[in-house]
Amino acid sequence: MAAGLPHPLTYSVIIDEKLGLGLPPHVYYMWMAMIILLTCALMLRGRLQLVPGGMQNVFETAIGGLEDFTVANLGEEGRRVFPFLCSMFIFILVMNYIGLIPGCDAATANVNTNAAMALCVFLYYNYIGIKKWGFGYIKHFMGPMPALAPLMLVLETVSHIARPLSLTLRLFGNIRGEEIVLVLLFVLAPVLGTLPMYFLFILGKTIQAFIFFMLTMIYLKGSLEHAH
Amino acid sequence: MLFSNQGKPSGAMEILSTAGTIGLQLVTATFVGLAMGYFLDEWLGTSPWLLIVFLLLGIVAGFRDVFLEARRIQRRSEGDHGAESGPRGSDPK
Repeated sequence: MAAGLPHPLTYSVIIDEKLGLGLPPHVYYMWMAMIILLTCALMLRGRLQLVPGGMQNVFETAIGGLEDFTVANLGEEGRRVFPFLCSMFIFILVMNYIGLIPGCDAATANVNTNAAMALCVFLYYNYIGIKKWGFGYIKHFMGPMPALAPLMLVLETVSHIARPLSLTLRLFGNIRGEEIVLVLLFVLAPVLGTLPMYFLFILGKTIQAFIFFMLTMIYLKGSLEHAH
Repeated sequence: MLFSNQGKPSGAMEILSTAGTIGLQLVTATFVGLAMGYFLDEWLGTSPWLLIVFLLLGIVAGFRDVFLEARRIQRRSEGDHGAESGPRGSDPK
């Protein structure tokens, strides 16, 4: 817990005492999300079928839909950056949902996890832009008019640096707020109070993961398309 | 519910997430401008001029972000209704 209301009891504290590593809770819950995703992926890879059934069907529908959405927004180039976008979305979604399990805390309710992911996004879309445009990528920072270019250079730099910060703070604020509300309602009215909130928070957590995905897509669009 | 039409993110999901993004850019851009001004001042020893200039630039950058975001939403909603109501406005871009 960074600050604010401490979680009453998390499994990670118990695991940490057993292992004696002295790591903060969000690291354990991130590992948990990674284990869940890797297990799902390996299980699916083992029995891929031409006619999908069960879990393969669910994943194919969700990922196919997201790919269509990305290609509709980014064009055919979207297929090249789609693996990054989609793994980001699924990873954040699983980490968010883990926060809903009693005794677990969302890894995204800690600034450090989100800052790491937002920095990855920042470096990735700039890398894609530089790879595509070479030195001409600087035109993306210049704005439409040559006379205003020095001013626009500073303005764009400020707004580009603000992007990872706002990604971090948005995800952290929403998920942390939801965790605090859950703890507070659990203190007030143990099961009765928290159960209705679960429906709201499943929606909220899905939307937050989707916002991260959509903003990453918009930033990638900005670095892929021609500058003005 | 949210991935209704053949797994595609539904319109409601897109609108909700767009609404969730507006506003925070304004705050973060202001703070980034403030921090840049503060550290440039410490480095160059020109207190407090660069702080003021970069704070203003940060506020302008934040407003510009919100403006561009609003224009993006407007263009998308025009794209949705464009078929029935014909071209509206004369945005050159």
